[in-house]
Amino acid sequence: MGGVFQFRSCASLEQLTGRKATTLEELLSLIRTCSESSIFYHTFSAFLKMRQVKRPHNSDFAAWASTGLNEKALAEKMTAIELLEFNTIGELRKRLIEIIEAYREEKPGAFKKTSDEPFFLYDVKRFVYLTDKFAYDLGSFIELLPTISMYSVYYHFIESRLETGMRADDFSVWIEDTLNLPDLAQKIRAIDIYAYDLEGLRHHIIQILDEYRKTRRDH
Amino acid sequence: MNNSDPDKKLPSLLDYREVVGPDIIEELAILASHVGRKSIKMVNSTAVGGGVAEMLHRIVPLLNELGIQTEWQVIKGDDVFFEITKKMHNSLQGSEETISERAFRTYLSYNEANSKEIEADQDLIVIHDPQPAALIAWNQKRKNKWVWRCHIDLSHPNQKTWNLLKPYVENYDAAIFSSPLFSPQLSIPQYRFYPAIDPLDDKNKQLEKHYVRSVFKKYGIPRDKPIVTQISRYDPWKDPVGVIKAFRLARKHVECRLLLVGDKAADDPESDEVFEKVRAEAGDDPEIHTLLFSPSIPTEINAFQRGSDIVLQKSLREGFALTVSEALWKKRPVIGAAVGGIPAQVIDGYTGLLVYSVEGANLGIRQLLNQPDFAKTLAENGHQRVKDEFLITKNVKRYLLLLLALERPDKQTIFLSS
Repeated sequence: MGGVFQFRSCASLEQLTGRKATTLEELLSLIRTCSESSIFYHTFSAFLKMRQVKRPHNSDFAAWASTGLNEKALAEKMTAIELLEFNTIGELRKRLIEIIEAYREEKPGAFKKTSDEPFFLYDVKRFVYLTDKFAYDLGSFIELLPTISMYSVYYHFIESRLETGMRADDFSVWIEDTLNLPDLAQKIRAIDIYAYDLEGLRHHIIQILDEYRKTRRDH
Repeated sequence: MNNSDPDKKLPSLLDYREVVGPDIIEELAILASHVGRKSIKMVNSTAVGGGVAEMLHRIVPLLNELGIQTEWQVIKGDDVFFEITKKMHNSLQGSEETISERAFRTYLSYNEANSKEIEADQDLIVIHDPQPAALIAWNQKRKNKWVWRCHIDLSHPNQKTWNLLKPYVENYDAAIFSSPLFSPQLSIPQYRFYPAIDPLDDKNKQLEKHYVRSVFKKYGIPRDKPIVTQISRYDPWKDPVGVIKAFRLARKHVECRLLLVGDKAADDPESDEVFEKVRAEAGDDPEIHTLLFSPSIPTEINAFQRGSDIVLQKSLREGFALTVSEALWKKRPVIGAAVGGIPAQVIDGYTGLLVYSVEGANLGIRQLLNQPDFAKTLAENGHQRVKDEFLITKNVKRYLLLLLALERPDKQTIFLSS
């Protein structure tokens, strides 16, 4: 991502798998055997869905444990997974399995419950594409941020980590590597993604960049 | 139908830009550029009436505007054919009446006759619903892609009828359903396309406040108290009597009026009977207003929704219930039953309230009328959710993605490079 920053964006086409779970045992089996893209859809994509409303759960698995089975503690444990610390889906799948299996030891009765509202397993086709928006410096980057789509914000801040294998978002990597502004990059990386929906995230990034630019001018 | 006036100019992508934002339309253009010079043919069984025709009237010009040559053709049939397909429709949605093998052979003969009149050399053929589903049987040597778009609920089909149709469906390259609730087990890939509303049609476009006032005045509905409204056919599954019961429970605690608005479907003799039951339940209660249209005027339905303080959809069984998205788009707080496609639109406590009973609907009315700030937050969130998932522009995007996906069936992640 050296030099000019060309914004990318992404889109998803949801696929129905015909598979579902009504118990935790069945959910565990789905998580063990489903495709990586299914895990991705029900976890990382949930960030995109959070764009609409700031919901308490960051994955569909956690949301179903809470609303479908009324297992609030399990939902909390799954929500507490720091998704952004995982740069492979395999690791994330393993963590989800560990949490559900540990919960079985802790509360075996939860595995006897059957939900009236099944968890439907989805798969997804993901599309990543270049936009015609280019940033050449911090000024043009700040100007463009309000104009890119929410899907673009989501892609660069959340999803691209899976492709780059890095534990950082694209924005801060470019700011550090190309603009040579490590302090500013660190501020972007320190944003607590759980505190914002995507629109809020975009505003917060712009605010940090604006403040930085203003401070530089004042000096 | 909203667009029965042939001279009426349909909105362009530029008009939608104002509603959904320039970023969304720009990305549609980028995706269309990756699709390139592709063509689509949509095939269904009616040019007017019903949600499918309404949607096709809007989506076909938008795809063309994006450079995807899109045609729409309607199959031909007479009373004999449509009598069979109506039975088939009900049967596939779970009714006990089955289609005899003889009737199915007649159905096939009409499909065969239509196959001779339908040129299917476009890159993608989208067949809507069961009526033309067997057309694929006479296109076995096709080189293009065929997708079956099923708008009905196939979750609990009459097995005998489904067994007749299923082999034809499994000949397609893919199928599309509105919800995982509605999809059966199939050997072909299945995609989910939510149904969508058009924010610029008469039923959803912005209205002047004085027009909204005039509509309420025209029908003699005072707006001196908060208005709780359900807009639905007079059908037992929409539970209009349950709505009256919920309203009466709520009215003991909060002042309000109830407005029930429904269309009388030409092919539904039951609606008169249900309407009479509703009238009997309402009695001469001056705070319950019941209206029966045949058919309704879309701008007036729009006005009823915009002039309401709460919109209810307390169905006992549902298809997708886009009336919920219509209300949310207008930033009206919604109380919906947790059935069919309603939970996809109403996320309980975030974009509306989900209820399971008359008592729950009563509590919801009281909560929303007593907590206007909460009601406003739900409505704002609901509007955003509709903007993201249930507008026609999203369906245009899904068709573009479908074209791209069908070209690369084995890839889950597709990087589009110029």
